[in-house]
Amino acid sequence: MKTPTEHFFRRALQVTLPLLVWIAHFAFSYGLAAAQCTPAGLRPGGPDRLLLGGVTVTALALCALLAWRGRGALRDRQAGLAERAGAVLAILALVAIAWAGLPLLLVSGCA
Amino acid sequence: MRTTPNTAPRPDGELEKLEEVWRTRRGWRFFSSVNNTNIGLLYIGTALLFFVLAGVLGLLIRAQLAVPQNTLLGAETYNQVFTMHGTVMMFLFAIPVVEAIAVYLLPNMLGARDLPFPRLSAYAYWAYAFGGLAFFCTLFAGLAPDGGWFMYPPLTGTKYSPGLNADFWLLGIGFIEISAIAGAIELIVGILFTRAPGMTLGRMPVYAWAMLVVALMIVFAFPAVIAGTALLELERAFDWPFFIAERGGDPLLWQHLFWFFGHPEVYIIFLPAAGMVSTMIPTIAGTPLVGRRAIIAALLGVGVLSFGLWAHHMFTAGLGVLEMSFVSAASMAVAVPTAIQVFAWIATLWKGKVQRGAPTLFLLGFMFIFVLGGLTGVMVAVIPFDWQVHDTYFIVAHFHYVLIGGMVFPVFAALYYWLPLVNGNRLSEVLARWVFWLMFGGFNLAFFPMHISGLLGMPRRVYTYGPELGWNGLNMVSTVGAFLFAAGVGLFAVDAFRTLRREARPVGNPWNAPTLEWLGSEDYGNRSIARVSSHDPLWDEPELAREVEEGRHYLPHSATGERETIATSPVAAAPRYLLVLPGDSWLPMLAAFGTAAFFLLLTVKLYPLAWACGLLAVGGVLGWMWGSDRESAHETVRAEASQPLPVGATGTASHSWWATIIMLVVDASIFASFAFAYVHVSMRLMVCPPPGASLPPLTQALASCGLLLSGSALVWLARRSLGKRRLPWLALAALGCALASFVLDLQGWRAGLDPSASAWAAAIAALAGYQGLHIVLLLVLAPYLALRAWRGHLGPRSRATLDNIALVWHYTTLQGIAAVAVVRLMPLVME
Repeated sequence: MKTPTEHFFRRALQVTLPLLVWIAHFAFSYGLAAAQCTPAGLRPGGPDRLLLGGVTVTALALCALLAWRGRGALRDRQAGLAERAGAVLAILALVAIAWAGLPLLLVSGCA
Repeated sequence: MRTTPNTAPRPDGELEKLEEVWRTRRGWRFFSSVNNTNIGLLYIGTALLFFVLAGVLGLLIRAQLAVPQNTLLGAETYNQVFTMHGTVMMFLFAIPVVEAIAVYLLPNMLGARDLPFPRLSAYAYWAYAFGGLAFFCTLFAGLAPDGGWFMYPPLTGTKYSPGLNADFWLLGIGFIEISAIAGAIELIVGILFTRAPGMTLGRMPVYAWAMLVVALMIVFAFPAVIAGTALLELERAFDWPFFIAERGGDPLLWQHLFWFFGHPEVYIIFLPAAGMVSTMIPTIAGTPLVGRRAIIAALLGVGVLSFGLWAHHMFTAGLGVLEMSFVSAASMAVAVPTAIQVFAWIATLWKGKVQRGAPTLFLLGFMFIFVLGGLTGVMVAVIPFDWQVHDTYFIVAHFHYVLIGGMVFPVFAALYYWLPLVNGNRLSEVLARWVFWLMFGGFNLAFFPMHISGLLGMPRRVYTYGPELGWNGLNMVSTVGAFLFAAGVGLFAVDAFRTLRREARPVGNPWNAPTLEWLGSEDYGNRSIARVSSHDPLWDEPELAREVEEGRHYLPHSATGERETIATSPVAAAPRYLLVLPGDSWLPMLAAFGTAAFFLLLTVKLYPLAWACGLLAVGGVLGWMWGSDRESAHETVRAEASQPLPVGATGTASHSWWATIIMLVVDASIFASFAFAYVHVSMRLMVCPPPGASLPPLTQALASCGLLLSGSALVWLARRSLGKRRLPWLALAALGCALASFVLDLQGWRAGLDPSASAWAAAIAALAGYQGLHIVLLLVLAPYLALRAWRGHLGPRSRATLDNIALVWHYTTLQGIAAVAVVRLMPLVME
């Protein structure tokens, strides 16, 4: 029986995109900080906060864009699950990335 | 009258035939049952048995600590007792019980007749039951693990733990990991592909959402601990120094791998409980769940954010301050989606008219305790505070508030709520109040003082303490509380035993719940599979229960004369095909016995017997697979009056194809963990490769990759040769290529690498060994495929074996190439 295409993965991506941005930001930030504080890759002055800051601002901008695009779903009581969940997760990712970015302003060096 | 999928009166004898197909065998044959209801009940019962056994160990701990300088338990026994308490609670109770409840509840809640792989569920259960009981019995021989439930090296290396105790932990939990992953695959495929027609993702019960998220978390979290335990066991067995600093290893590598599993694990335990709470609260409040879509988003958010918290268990391990700050931030961020759920539950209770009863009491108890545990969780996410309380009783108090509050209380609420499904009888409301207040009061009395004893400096895991330290009174109060809590559990056990022995009554819908598990149900599930049009179907469609019972919805019969359910599309839940399910069999139990015995006998170094049991396990699995994937006599059947439904599906439409993909994701995650270990130990080197080690020539590695690619090309050709005589020969030729590739690899590695000389070489050996394991798998699969082809069991409608083996084959090729790339790139990056 032929059934219409449901675009399962496209819908899944629509909902989880903000979380994927958070994963990418967290993995890159943690990975770079760890790499630049190991004996093999030790960077004088500690992790590159400029690069980390740039990545954080980019991730924040992406999540803000996703939240802005999903703002209608937050107001619309009839919005579908994918739209509403995507918008909620965009705000959540925005908060989580902003919070993770704060140490960049406060912490320098490896120790 | 509403239009239903089947409107004609049902023919005589139809129901009797359905009952016959699904009938549970009586007497000792009951244990060959694979039906989700029977396996689910056995699973829940066994998990609760382990809860009691681990609880007894907890009482022993409290008895020992009741007074200073107590001599009830010696230091060595105490070490085994607290290690087993934590290990059994986490691995043999907490994870299994949430999967067990899902195995029991989900098919009915989703409107399916059973889960898509009933024999896999049975295998997962029996592996857990056999292995778990044998593992627990190590206590009686003084061979139980004694390194704490997270088994940190170097304490658990051979230098400081020379006995078998640590090996029992490392190999003993192997079968639990296999069981949990098998359960996760079953749940993901079941939730996505066997929902009742019309039950879109938006209408799916929140509990099913929670279990979907949890099953996906298991897929990504468990591989880390599988890899970690494999590495530590390899170190102990063959002196491969992954965690020995003098030879380039790093004890922190274990901590990273363990906690990358261990922290999501907390949410793997909590989210199913949260899903149950989100299912029970609307019923007891008599109103739809407030913020349903936000709760689903929160479940997804918690599931993902929880993977960024692992290192908050390592704040005192010497990580860089910036890395710790990222993890601290994630630890605080995860409180946001958790709070969304708590506020939504409070709002639902506020909005509705709350039924007073046992589930309500336990749900309120859950919220009180869990919120307190969450708040101390935020406290320990603050790095300087964690430095003060790390490894003290404050942490013991915190995680018991989170785990008992966040999981045990909801599970007890669930037992009160769903137990009537078993035989129609409810537990006693009078006794329930006693049970609740004993458990709630006892819990707070036991664990609240531990916050204070921790702040006063009492460390975890001490088997006794001096009377002058000021902890005496607090410890005595904790002990009294623990025994009160145990009395509550004991009273519950008596009541449950009494209730389950009572004569069965019609189940009905005692709480006036909105979800499908309260439809009339027998061994075959519901009389017909409901068509769903809302997320609270029993509230919004009052006639639904009667229509389903009259056989007016989908599949009111056994269309092929076998066990069946309807496979639906993942988003809209449109009927796609009839999924024919396997019947009862002893083979899953036999295979499970072989698996558990293999791991345990390996631990006690009875190698020939262990390998014999391993072969029994493989034989059992192949035996049950041999009977599956056969062409049905029917091409289509009528599950509803209006249109025919195909029997079975192939390729990406097949549920088995998806299960294979998920298994390969697990596989890739284990490989990634080994690759991480290699990168981690490489980054500790000043010169890479380290002195005395060298990689084989690049041409040799390229030749190996070429052979793997040739094997894959032959398998690709085999897939296009269905029905032709060359197919089995192509599979065997592909096997030749894979074997040649591995022999070439082995020669190369052995020339320049000594795995016991450095952690770097050992990490490469681990990657090579993992690839070798896949070649052994192909060594089994290729002849199996050839045999099926020769016996005529491969055809256009029975090609799942071919398609799935092809997937495994191509994955092995990719993994081999990825291993070569990772190993070769790292020294280049470090130059």
